[in-house]
Amino acid sequence: VIHTLTLPIGLPGQGMHLGIDPLSMLFLLILAPQIIAVAIGPDRKSPLFWAFILGMILAVIAADAFALILGFELMSAASWLLVLRGDRRPATLYAGIAMFSGACLIPALFLPAGSLAFALILLGAGAKAGLAPLHAWLPRAHPAPPAGISALMSGGMVKVALYVIIRYGFVDLAGAMQPWWGTALIIAGAASVLIGGLRAALEVELKTILACSTVEHVGLIAVGLGIALRAQAAGDQNLATLALQGALLCAVAHALFKPLLFLGAGAVKHATGTTSLDWLGGLIRGMPKLGYLMLAGCAGMAALPLGPGFAPAFLLLHATIAAAATGGILGRIGFTALLAILGLSAALALAAGTRIIGIGFLGRPRTLRAAAAEEADTPALAGMALLAICAIPVALTPGLVLFMMQPVIAELIPGAAPVPLSYAPLPLAVLLVAIGAAAWAVLRRFGARGEREARAWAGGFGRPPPWLPFGDPLTQPSATGFAEPIQRAMGATILGAKMLDPGETYLLEPLRRLNLRFTRAAERIRRATIRQRLAFVFGALVVFLLALGISGG
Amino acid sequence: MILLVLSLIAAALHAAIVFAAAPLLTGIITKFRARLLGRPGAPVLQPYRDLAKFLAKTPILPDTATQLYQAWPFAALAATGTAALLIPSFTLGMATAKLSDFITLIGLFAVARAATMLAGLETGFGFGGAGAGRDALFGIFAEAALLVLVLIFVLIAGNPTVDGIAEFFRDNHTGISVSLGFALAAMLAIAVTETGRIPADNPAGHLELAMVHEAMLLEYSGRYLALFHYAGMLRLIAWFSLIASIFCPFGMADAGNPLSWPAGLILFAGKMLVLAAGLALFEVSTAKMRVFRVPEFLGVAMLLGLLSGVFLFVATRLGG
Repeated sequence: VIHTLTLPIGLPGQGMHLGIDPLSMLFLLILAPQIIAVAIGPDRKSPLFWAFILGMILAVIAADAFALILGFELMSAASWLLVLRGDRRPATLYAGIAMFSGACLIPALFLPAGSLAFALILLGAGAKAGLAPLHAWLPRAHPAPPAGISALMSGGMVKVALYVIIRYGFVDLAGAMQPWWGTALIIAGAASVLIGGLRAALEVELKTILACSTVEHVGLIAVGLGIALRAQAAGDQNLATLALQGALLCAVAHALFKPLLFLGAGAVKHATGTTSLDWLGGLIRGMPKLGYLMLAGCAGMAALPLGPGFAPAFLLLHATIAAAATGGILGRIGFTALLAILGLSAALALAAGTRIIGIGFLGRPRTLRAAAAEEADTPALAGMALLAICAIPVALTPGLVLFMMQPVIAELIPGAAPVPLSYAPLPLAVLLVAIGAAAWAVLRRFGARGEREARAWAGGFGRPPPWLPFGDPLTQPSATGFAEPIQRAMGATILGAKMLDPGETYLLEPLRRLNLRFTRAAERIRRATIRQRLAFVFGALVVFLLALGISGG
Repeated sequence: MILLVLSLIAAALHAAIVFAAAPLLTGIITKFRARLLGRPGAPVLQPYRDLAKFLAKTPILPDTATQLYQAWPFAALAATGTAALLIPSFTLGMATAKLSDFITLIGLFAVARAATMLAGLETGFGFGGAGAGRDALFGIFAEAALLVLVLIFVLIAGNPTVDGIAEFFRDNHTGISVSLGFALAAMLAIAVTETGRIPADNPAGHLELAMVHEAMLLEYSGRYLALFHYAGMLRLIAWFSLIASIFCPFGMADAGNPLSWPAGLILFAGKMLVLAAGLALFEVSTAKMRVFRVPEFLGVAMLLGLLSGVFLFVATRLGG
């Protein structure tokens, strides 16, 4: 059912159409919890912030191309100004990417349905979503503004960009659907998954880790969408439904746990003045509530069972396995490799999540500020708790969430039959709790009572001097040290010795060099002497006349 | 109705056997190893005594531990125990058969791994962090390789649960295929790493530079250490059952037919003994490898998995 509304403003004579169908409804519901959580959070809400939110909502409820572009660009411009307020350096890069995505999207929406239109939409919206190879800006720009804005950019804005891909790929351009659209999405998604996951396990800044993990999750969603597009182009509705379920559920879950983690990072910054893991440690003593909420968020990010992130990962893995059972032999081998990449990145996400909790919240404080950190303010905790509560149904009853999503899937894949979810978290939770309770009962019945506190053995290091009340920070593992094995075994191969993102090495860096070369050329022309200029004009005239003479016969 | 009751009884029996026999299996492997090395070795019941000893001791909490110190052993044990419950041992078609999805199992092992890693980072001492970082690295390659193998099994058996895969391999004579041979080799490599045995890690070793799993538990003592050790034993029996039920489902009973249970039980014990002997023999005949060789070892496993997939696809192409 589509409710449409025509506003008298907009293009002359046509106005602006707004409408809500199941797909826009789903994305509105994805945006709602995080907007509320950030709105009740502690950050200052400027008019720009509301413009940013208005842009996102307008892009999602747009029923014509003009309204969509208006909302999308409003979102881009407002978020650029918000990034600019936080940090000047990434803002320029961000503006460039936003302009690029606008330049791709605007012509695409008015082109006839076909592969060219989809390619442009994939480039434009993919750049905005942080899909490889156009992702290198995201880990720089998303951490720049205050935590609430970062949360909305990572949790909401990339979803709006993905919404554009879904809207056009599955609905508006459905008539001209080609299998290669899906393949392109899968390849871009797999690259994002690998690079994002790896960088999330290696970075030291908490907010940068979260932004890299966003790249990874966007990649996961893109992989799901790609498999669904390919399957639908090939007429395999069951596979398309399975993959689409995974992608959409991943979008829902990510929109809950990622803003939660960003808000938590903001609270950490407020309490300690830094978000670098190497300056934190032991935070869960001073800020237990924040610590437990962050633990829940990291369990979602690491796709652990009974967390919100597991059901989407489960569906996507099964969709990949099912996709490997169809098609040509090259495609099958490709899907097997894709599965290996998804496995690598799932374990990398586990490492990243463990590292945030283990280095930042457990262990000993590394600085006095971390030792003196006090519990976060109630507004921040309330926003995070809201997101955590919204994540409970996704974590424990994903089948129900998928059932409620069925109209969306039916809209995107006409005639799709619901595919039941074979992952049942509730019985698993019962088993886990039963075993834990049994272990507790055994310890209570047969074990020695009581505990004794003593100085930690700590590898046999001597007692620290009195002016280091929490021990020498150098004797405990740092975030860099924890990631060193991964950096040595994988990071050096994929990111190079300088730990640079491939998107930067192979895309931004050549562009920067090209820019420099053009600037130098322009500078040389500007500095030309009068004689050189006259010679140039004369030469141009000769060439022009020659061309005229040759073409004239 | 009667089938449901039988499947519940089978599941309960399975749980009792797995939870009771896990230390015994560890004891048997240690005994085999000692004998192969020419020592008499500790009695096979020694792990039970060790657990009882740990239980009786008062745990010492490090002063730098946080309030979650006590939670990690329970999380590790619960996740490993659930995985051990879901993996069939002597019979198929237990009440938990539907839950035993392979990817869920991988997730449960990941929970146990995360809990152990966090336990290592808990008190903020060097060895724990180093062990956790290495374990994270092993996990990355092990999980990728294992997923590729899952793909092979699911595609051959057409069923995502361990129970269904085992049932398919038991009832259909798939024969000895190149694919499954590679898959077995890869699976063994992953199992050795995941259970922390030689050559990836040494369960008995306390050489600081080479420790991985033990390094994370150094600050634990008393009953909490007992939980971690018991979780390790459960993990070993879970992996043994997994390998046995996929690659050697021969003679596994049906939950609905109690008359087939005794044979299934005896065969299960036999399979465990053979695997234990094989592991002990493998362990005494290889040296522990350097930590950074392990990713290469697992990389080979992943490659074998991919090759196995390629052979499978070629075979289905030729067959179909």
